[in-house]
Amino acid sequence: MKRFITKKRLLNIASVFFLLALWKILALYFHSAFIIPQPEDTFLTVLQLFTDKDFLVVAGSTVLRGLVGFIISFFLGLVTGIIAGISPGFNAFITPLLVTVRSVPVISLILLALIWFDPGTVPVFIALLTMFPFICTNVSDGIRSVDPGLVEMAVFYKVNKRRIITGVYLPAIVPFIISGASSAMGIGWRAIIIGEVLSQPVYGIGTRMQVAQTFLNVDAVIAWTLIAILISFVFEKMIRWGERKIEKWRVGS
Amino acid sequence: MSLLIRNLNKSFKDVVVLQDFEVTFPEDTITCMLGPSGCGKTTLLNIIGNLIPPDSGELIGFENKMLSYVFQDPRLLPWKTVRGNIEFVLSREMPSDEREKHTEQLIKQVELDGFAGFYPSQLSGGMRQRVSIARAFACPSDIILMDEPLKGLDAGLKKNLINWFLKLWKTDRRTVIFVTHDVDEALLLSDRVIVLSQPPTRILTHMNIDQPAGERDPGSGHLLKIKQELLNAVTIR
Repeated sequence: MKRFITKKRLLNIASVFFLLALWKILALYFHSAFIIPQPEDTFLTVLQLFTDKDFLVVAGSTVLRGLVGFIISFFLGLVTGIIAGISPGFNAFITPLLVTVRSVPVISLILLALIWFDPGTVPVFIALLTMFPFICTNVSDGIRSVDPGLVEMAVFYKVNKRRIITGVYLPAIVPFIISGASSAMGIGWRAIIIGEVLSQPVYGIGTRMQVAQTFLNVDAVIAWTLIAILISFVFEKMIRWGERKIEKWRVGS
Repeated sequence: MSLLIRNLNKSFKDVVVLQDFEVTFPEDTITCMLGPSGCGKTTLLNIIGNLIPPDSGELIGFENKMLSYVFQDPRLLPWKTVRGNIEFVLSREMPSDEREKHTEQLIKQVELDGFAGFYPSQLSGGMRQRVSIARAFACPSDIILMDEPLKGLDAGLKKNLINWFLKLWKTDRRTVIFVTHDVDEALLLSDRVIVLSQPPTRILTHMNIDQPAGERDPGSGHLLKIKQELLNAVTIR
């Protein structure tokens, strides 16, 4: 097992080096910082961005928007998902709405949001609409997958509804919630940054990318992209960490 | 006092399972409903347990009675420990220290003291069923329904589970309605055995076992005679 993990890690590292090598080859081939900058120059730009006095505010604003969007989507998705999972009628009502929201191109949502909201709110709204369907669908799927025998047992013993939800349904749907949260976060960050590029709030990674693109500052565009990837990676790790903690609570170590 | 079922009818689509079925269960005794698979034993138990409605019929004396159920599959919550699973069915109106004390006592009675903090996945099949039995006794019920709780367990484990069950039952007597297709289980556990036919279910015979449960020798001539009578009755279709 240990040998397998080591081999897997080595392959992960090799994959990253392959990508860097490809980048370097393309940068050497095009030999223009306006098309593909050198990787080392880009990493230097990333370091410079970290020392920029506005960096924390810029990155923090994007993270804050992501978190606000995620928290609203999470609770809204959890509640509607539970109701949809328990009530077939509500599920029949909400399914077309979820399918519609999922099918609408993000750009259409952004264009409408630009008309309706101020620039700072647009990315939050977009995050909400892109994340909510994932969480809601996963939660309702999770509820439907709960062992009916366990629910029947709890009902038979006259356990009250609130405790059936917290003691039977919620622990059973935790893996579905985590999976929904992970997918929602992955897609949500991208949607937030697209929203920022188009709505141009004062502070935001998307705004900085747009400005850099206007001045053909390709290394800054890539540098901000790398920072966005890093933020997404950190949140994914946090979700996985939370998953392990919850799993320990759920089934014991 | 007895519990009475009168003119009970239940069909699933075109299959008539119970037709004008009548039976009596004396209180504080263990009654076994013995019959082949598919004879309607579980249907009868589920109607008594209010898990499925009858098409028609009367259940007299069951009103306001509290019920416990030992399911065929123990139905333990995988994310709760042995202690948590037993406590889960206890009313929140009971003070928490009393709940805790009651649970610990039952865990001790089924000899799972060292496993109170274990999760179902960490227990054997027999241990899981012991938790299910302890949970049934934890609930202050008047009637315990048992749906083939020993199915799939080996002979030694069955005997042990029967002993643990009887140990609990002797200290806290309740009306037990127990269904099985295994004559030996019926013989060791029940005070009264009712043999059922294939659907539409009717009572082929019933007999009382006069020796107290838990003190029976399955090899004794008396019990072997009863066993033979039961086997003869079961084979009449």
